[in-house]
Amino acid sequence: MRNVAKRVVFFLMLIGVWELVYLCGIWPEYVLPSPVSVGKTLVGGFQNRTLLIGIGISMKRIAIGYGISIGIGIFLGIVIARFRILEDTLGALISGLQTLPTICWLPLALLWFGLNDRAIIFLVIMGAVLSIAIATDSGVKNVPSLYIRAAKTMGAKGWRLYLEVIIPAALPHIIIGMKQGWSFAWRSLMAGELLIVCLGLGHLMMIGRELNDMSQVIAVMIVIIIIGIVVDRLFFVKVEKRIRERWGLTKS
Amino acid sequence: MLEGVESGIPATADNEKIYGGVATAERPGGTQPKLCIRHVSKSFKSVNGSAYVLEDINLEIREGEFVCIVGPSGCGKTTLLNIVAGLEKADSGEVWSNGHKVNGAGTDRVVIFQEAALFPWLNVVKNVEFGLKLKGINAKQRRETAIQYLKMVHLSKFQKAHIHELSGGMKQRVAIARALAMNPEMLLMDEPFSALDAQTRWILHFELQNIWLKTKKTIMFVTHNIREAVCLADRIVMLSTTPGRVKKEFQIELPRPRDDNDINVAEYSTKIMKELKSEITKVMQCEMDADSCVECDIKCTSVIPEKIDMGGGI
Repeated sequence: MRNVAKRVVFFLMLIGVWELVYLCGIWPEYVLPSPVSVGKTLVGGFQNRTLLIGIGISMKRIAIGYGISIGIGIFLGIVIARFRILEDTLGALISGLQTLPTICWLPLALLWFGLNDRAIIFLVIMGAVLSIAIATDSGVKNVPSLYIRAAKTMGAKGWRLYLEVIIPAALPHIIIGMKQGWSFAWRSLMAGELLIVCLGLGHLMMIGRELNDMSQVIAVMIVIIIIGIVVDRLFFVKVEKRIRERWGLTKS
Repeated sequence: MLEGVESGIPATADNEKIYGGVATAERPGGTQPKLCIRHVSKSFKSVNGSAYVLEDINLEIREGEFVCIVGPSGCGKTTLLNIVAGLEKADSGEVWSNGHKVNGAGTDRVVIFQEAALFPWLNVVKNVEFGLKLKGINAKQRRETAIQYLKMVHLSKFQKAHIHELSGGMKQRVAIARALAMNPEMLLMDEPFSALDAQTRWILHFELQNIWLKTKKTIMFVTHNIREAVCLADRIVMLSTTPGRVKKEFQIELPRPRDDNDINVAEYSTKIMKELKSEITKVMQCEMDADSCVECDIKCTSVIPEKIDMGGGI
């Protein structure tokens, strides 16, 4: 409860400072809109459902792209950790690709998939899959051999060894990769939506830019930040807390 | 079907019965041994060529027998247990378990490690159920079995606890329950109590003896602690070091359950310790400078009190 209060006070103060700066009148309204007009845009956006549609479309894209990334990323991480030859080849490629900003894939994505959802989903996957793969790889390599030996004497082998022992044991690492992957996925999604015109939050932002309506741009930014916080609180924080409790990593 | 599995302990081992009177050959004739280790050798490559860890180990364990393997550190007793478990491969020789040649890990030989090796992502009862789940036993039945064995180690009220909430001794008891739940042919225990404090170990010695008396499992128990071995074993197999060979065997015929602090247990420990001393000296000479030996060190320490002359100048 006190945490919530702290947070509310913090955000109210932030908005207050913003309003003060606006009232000073250093920048004109079209450069720095007031919190009130951003609030109005937000309410209006929800009332005429443009924001809701935007959120819906963006969430659908990120859900598909991120879901696929988790599957491919965990699989890649496991095979890289398992086979030396893949570690030397594919592993090196993945760490190289990790330094490449996702947006660099855009020209290719446009050419391969066209100006559509699939190109954006491709960008999301390219953004998220690498961090998940790298984290899974290191997670699997860090599984104590004692667990594997114990599981083997109890009859675990093959895919069941992975499913019942190695993946659960690597989960604390995998979750960190998933969390990082999630933020990369959002970045890629926005990059894609800003440049490929087909609805979504990024597209709404672009319309704001074209109409010189900065309050719409900021409204969309706020929506993205809120989605980020909500997903973090509802999913990652809970999962991480649960893992810490199970593994005895918290002092409570 | 069992070529190469003859009964009788090879003549290389020098067998001694520590409690005179009862004949060694009381083993029921005709029953094949539960575990049969034949000419097992294993070496590890060191910087200067290959060093033998185990050389031509021959050992048989009868059904329901509690055998302790003792020896100085580095004699390869854990390696031997791992070979029996199928977690490591011998360079030569073979291991037969219950009439089947050991070729990799199997659920007939469950290992209990020095650290409990419980899975932190599962709670206590799910850990015990782990092996049963792999066997494909249905949820209800495996929960029943798990609870039954948790009761045997007196931990059924901790069934929902997380692993990190348990003490070291409780973890080992869960590990024992988890192994027993598999209903294995034999238990392989690799210094399971060596990381525990003395009181906990004392309690677990009682508990393990009771479990053994109840279940009559064949147990191969590796330890460096002679007192522990005397307390638990029917038979103690002593390995020598570099190379690791079966140096001597001792039958322990004391009534059970035995107590670590029992005078007879202490007496036998001292006797066996004498045998082990030369081996320990060998290890010390290897690890320390060649001119140091256990005897010298002991002499030195015994001289010190006279030199100190406490309060002599008053």
